Amino acid sequence: MKVVIDKYLSVLLIVLMTLMTLDVLWGVFTRYVYGNQADWSEELAKFLLIWVGLLGAAYASGQKLHLTIDLVTDSLSPQGQKRLLYFINVLVIIFAFSVLIVGGGNLIYITNILGQTSPALQLPMYLVYMAIPISGILVVTYRCLDISMSFRTSR
Amino acid sequence: MEVIILVLSFLILIAIGVPIAWSIGMSSILTMLMSISTLPALTTVAQRMATGLESFSLMAIPFFIIAGHIMNRGGIAKRLVSFAKAMVGSLPGGLTHVNIVGSMLFGAISGSAVAAISALGTMLGPEMEKSGYDKAHSAAANISAGTMGLLIPPSNVIIVYSLASGGVSIAALFLAGYIPGLIICLLLMLTAVIVTRKKNFPTGDRTSIKRLIKTGIEALPSLLLLIVVVGGIVAGIFTATEASAVAVLYCLILLFIYREVSLSDLPSIIIDSVSTTAIVLLLVSTSMSMSWVLSYENVPQDLSTFLFSISDNKYVILFIINLALLLVGIFIDITPAVLIFTPIFLPVVQNLGIHPTHFGIVMILNLCIGICTPPVGSALFVGVSVAEISIRKLIRPMLPFYLALLLALLVVTYIPEVSLLLPRLFGYD
Repeated sequence: MKVVIDKYLSVLLIVLMTLMTLDVLWGVFTRYVYGNQADWSEELAKFLLIWVGLLGAAYASGQKLHLTIDLVTDSLSPQGQKRLLYFINVLVIIFAFSVLIVGGGNLIYITNILGQTSPALQLPMYLVYMAIPISGILVVTYRCLDISMSFRTSR
Repeated sequence: MEVIILVLSFLILIAIGVPIAWSIGMSSILTMLMSISTLPALTTVAQRMATGLESFSLMAIPFFIIAGHIMNRGGIAKRLVSFAKAMVGSLPGGLTHVNIVGSMLFGAISGSAVAAISALGTMLGPEMEKSGYDKAHSAAANISAGTMGLLIPPSNVIIVYSLASGGVSIAALFLAGYIPGLIICLLLMLTAVIVTRKKNFPTGDRTSIKRLIKTGIEALPSLLLLIVVVGGIVAGIFTATEASAVAVLYCLILLFIYREVSLSDLPSIIIDSVSTTAIVLLLVSTSMSMSWVLSYENVPQDLSTFLFSISDNKYVILFIINLALLLVGIFIDITPAVLIFTPIFLPVVQNLGIHPTHFGIVMILNLCIGICTPPVGSALFVGVSVAEISIRKLIRPMLPFYLALLLALLVVTYIPEVSLLLPRLFGYD
């Protein structure tokens, strides 16, 4: 399960990041060749960064890459370590669920009602903010998989 | 009251091992829930997390990271080391100097202390051991030299500071980093000379002008990147973000010409870069909600009032802030520390008439020491794992190098011209 999510998510991130690079280079290129830069290219790059940032954060959470101070964890017994990691996972799940899924979902709901669109691309803003709950769902999934994995290995 | 909850919950969360980025978000939301009702608070944090990333200058970070990752795959470090050998290899304790100068060059190009330490450590560590250098000494020099890459532009931490400070010019900060970086280099080399005298480390091979020119020409295409990127930004040809995207293109072309990277390497380079980037970006995005809470609770003002009650002398206050940051740096990595403490300390020092560009360099140099110290230091950890020794064995040989870095901090803190000379020369003020 984790392998499948990792694979699709990483392909998506590679595509988004490549698009962002090409988009910014295109912006520089057009400014020099045509003298002016299309408005949409900077806006698109910013939106892509939001997606890369939030989905990348979920991916990094899955690979356990986020900076952590593990002084306490290291000093505990293996049993204590397992309990603490379980507790940390639960905290992250609560945060991702309440802020990213519920808060992000509400944000989408509001911007959809207000009908906000982006200035240059005329893109509905809720599409941009969609990255928040999707990231939340991925983080919750990764953390749940981690918990179930630790139960499996303890048997 | 709210502030106590914010600080206490944050400290407890990071202490038990919750990733720092999530801890920042969790303690912010907890504090907000004290004064705002639930759904609006959750929505605000979610929105701040997304809009915190909606910044064109922030985009320079992933691009510089990709450029760095591309170069790590190629032989750029090897060419820079040969160049450094031709420059300083014949000094007493030659290879230590090669490590320091090579680290400065590679760190400047890759913009990452960790990348410089692992590249130089892997390449020079075994050679230094064979030539009779103490392994722990080599690792100590390697680790402390890695910090220069964070000060000498392009540097991602400087971009993070620019963002956290609410828009101090990246070009000015980039220019401000050069002289402090060179001061560190000189002080580290001086330390290396003193240690070498005491321990009788070998002097390196003789070098010649001819070799200097030959290796210099080989290293030129990589060094040219620095000129294109920083020169382009300072001359106003492109923004830092555009420069970083051009850097990606430049590195790709360079390595395709050298045939050191093929197209099939690209996906793995990009996903590695996205992971490194995402670590920084999540910190940025959750810090945005924390800085909102901090200013909502008037923390910077209260802190100024408190500090001014101790003294209204700017040198004393800078000293106190430096001590506080050194303590912070022992436990927290440089990026989150810059993100959390810039909005707190910057208003205080600006009240005293300290230039935000100057303060940025002081703060980053200060936190650079923190990444070299146990128990939590990203530079230290990489250096130790590359050299395959224990942290305990490293502490003693690190001491003279800590001293050199502290001396550099003192100079940079109390002589603002060291940081401000170049930006002023180019018309930034």
